[in-house]
Amino acid sequence: MRSTQYVVDDENGAGLGHYSDPPLLVLASLASGPKHGHAMIEDIAGMCGTRLGPGTLYGAIARLEQQGWIEPLEPEERRQPYRITEDGLRVLGAKLATLHQFAKAGLKRLAANQEAL
Amino acid sequence: MNRLLARALTRLYPSAWRERYGAEFEMHLVDGPGGLGAAVDVAWAAMKERMFPTRGGNMERPVYSFGAVMKRPSALVPVAMSVTALLLVIGPIPFYGVPVREPDEGTIAHLWQILMAGQLPVLLFFAITWLRRAPRQALGVLAVQAGAVLAAMAPVFYFNL
Repeated sequence: MRSTQYVVDDENGAGLGHYSDPPLLVLASLASGPKHGHAMIEDIAGMCGTRLGPGTLYGAIARLEQQGWIEPLEPEERRQPYRITEDGLRVLGAKLATLHQFAKAGLKRLAANQEAL
Repeated sequence: MNRLLARALTRLYPSAWRERYGAEFEMHLVDGPGGLGAAVDVAWAAMKERMFPTRGGNMERPVYSFGAVMKRPSALVPVAMSVTALLLVIGPIPFYGVPVREPDEGTIAHLWQILMAGQLPVLLFFAITWLRRAPRQALGVLAVQAGAVLAAMAPVFYFNL
């Protein structure tokens, strides 16, 4: 079951919305180093324009942690940082490779379509 | 976000989730901007967490045996009520013979009706509570409860009371 998404629209959505697969976004955010919840939200917003709501974020965090793909670190003051695990990196790599393949195929078809016009 | 609102929103989550994430989630909410969008997002996520709880790791549900579920008061009480209703009908037979249908239903008939109707809310409570927690075991207990209800009704229909 995918987590819910709370997506803030902006001008570049063009009616299609943002990419929003919260668990994947959290994994991608943690790939650049450990972060706590608010840092993840800002990082993800900067990465793809999707601003995860607190419920959505923690829904993803809970599922990722229970699957062993991220793990909590020692709390820093009031904040709880998380880091990605080896398994999480492997899963992220596999998912991004699939997305990359999909994007490549899609762009190739788009280019062929534009040439034909 | 307001601390009271953060606490109230956190309480929307199931207790197992709160036990693990409640404290840090509440802090996350208090430190965040809040607003209606965030509150709606949390309420929606909490509702989904209740419907499809996070599994695996240290969030795995406790394993309930059939015996453990059967020992719950809401499982035992309906069975006890059905058995009592059954005994009310068949108990006097060895002493007074097979009962006959009378225009005035009498005390035993009223007691039987109270016992059979009174267990319905308990049965409902059991089904709502335990079908989510331990579906397989709860179905077994519901089968026992249904069997006890049928057993209590059987002599009434058999003797046409």
